[in-house]
Amino acid sequence: MAASQPDSVYDQVVQVTHAYLGPTADRFIARQVEDHLHKSPSELSQADLLSLIDWIKAVVSLLTEDGDIIEEYTNELRKLAARTGGKHG
Amino acid sequence: MAETDMPSAPRRTAHERQAEVEALFTSIGDGAISTDEFGRITRVNPAAQGILGYSEDELVGTWFPKKIIAVSADDVPTNLIDRPITKAFLTGRPIAEKMFYRRQDGQEIPVSINVSPILLNGKPLGAIEVFRDISLEQEVDRMKSEFISLASHQLRTPLSAIKTYTHMLTDGYMGDLNEAQNKSLSTIVGATNRMNELISTLLNITRIESGTIAISPKLVKLNELVEELMPELELMATAKSIDLKLQLRGKGSTAIKTDALIVKEIVTNLVSNAIKYTPDNGQVTITIRPHRNEVQVEVTDSGWGIPKFSQDQVFSKFFRAQNIVKRETTGTGLGLYLVKGLLDTLDGKIWFHSEEGAGTNFFFTLPRTLPNKKSSSRKKAKA
Repeated sequence: MAASQPDSVYDQVVQVTHAYLGPTADRFIARQVEDHLHKSPSELSQADLLSLIDWIKAVVSLLTEDGDIIEEYTNELRKLAARTGGKHG
Repeated sequence: MAETDMPSAPRRTAHERQAEVEALFTSIGDGAISTDEFGRITRVNPAAQGILGYSEDELVGTWFPKKIIAVSADDVPTNLIDRPITKAFLTGRPIAEKMFYRRQDGQEIPVSINVSPILLNGKPLGAIEVFRDISLEQEVDRMKSEFISLASHQLRTPLSAIKTYTHMLTDGYMGDLNEAQNKSLSTIVGATNRMNELISTLLNITRIESGTIAISPKLVKLNELVEELMPELELMATAKSIDLKLQLRGKGSTAIKTDALIVKEIVTNLVSNAIKYTPDNGQVTITIRPHRNEVQVEVTDSGWGIPKFSQDQVFSKFFRAQNIVKRETTGTGLGLYLVKGLLDTLDGKIWFHSEEGAGTNFFFTLPRTLPNKKSSSRKKAKA
């Protein structure tokens, strides 16, 4: 795993993503955090989550046409953001 | 009129701006497609419809990857994750690539693609992809390569006759020659050798560019291979009183599985370049260093060097440094372009350090083993 802190925000995002993307989840999320938020995975904070979800949704929307799956996946991530009190931007 | 007195541009209304964007989108000569954040096509310009063979109604509202089919040179559908539009969202940056699009009628056309994410306050709202059909460019490239290849082969035939007869003359088969005649013949021999080298270079370049260069991997010891070249290289060096050295540094074997003929061509080009661009009485050293997964060769000269401002063009076709053009009138500017192309075919790497007036160090590495090369493709759209 790119970030080793147990139950960090990053770990939780990867855990949710694993159910949809499988073993590539870690690499995929790490790359999204680095490229879009310009920080390392271990620095991913609550406040970053909604912005990260926007990008994840845009990418996943080009990998599957199944809108229900995308909605389900991004809703799972939004629940994480709500739980951790994430704010957009 | 003073700048402050200039009338300011009239402020556009939202409708006017919309009409402006619409006109811009429609009038672009290249194909343009925009998508929303779900990857659904929101707008298609007439050029895109022409290239893809679909009408606007057939495209708008559909999922971009489903309708716009991308394939590789080997007709394999491109993975969705590897498509430029996905990469643009993955990285958040514009992406430029060449690939093939499958038209509605099934025909595959090479396209050059530029795609950018559309962002509002950092949030992705969709993407805009601009692409153009590069079939004609590729055809012109192919025809140009074919012409050079054909012309080079045709030039070789009369050249062989010239070489044969000049050798017969210099060897005395047609009687004794006086000093002036010998001098003239030596000029002819030099000129035909140069022309022969130029033809070989052109042929090699067309083979590289068309992907038809044949590779025959065999196990060779790099130091022995370079030693075989030394007599020929020493002749060149001696003509300019240049001290040419070959040295092996470090421990380990220099054995690699590669194409010996191509490596000889690379070394000959680099060393003859070094000799050519080094003043008389200078030094040229070839150093071979075995590493774990590769073998490195360094060619160092005490020559005129490459000016800093030209260094990024060194491996470009027809490049000749300004400081060299003034001193050395011969040369095509194809040698290093060829060397780079040959090394690419062998999965090698090349780089250099140079300072004007202080000489140049060229380095190249070759892997211990050469991966199985794919057979040359019938299509070519690599970036």
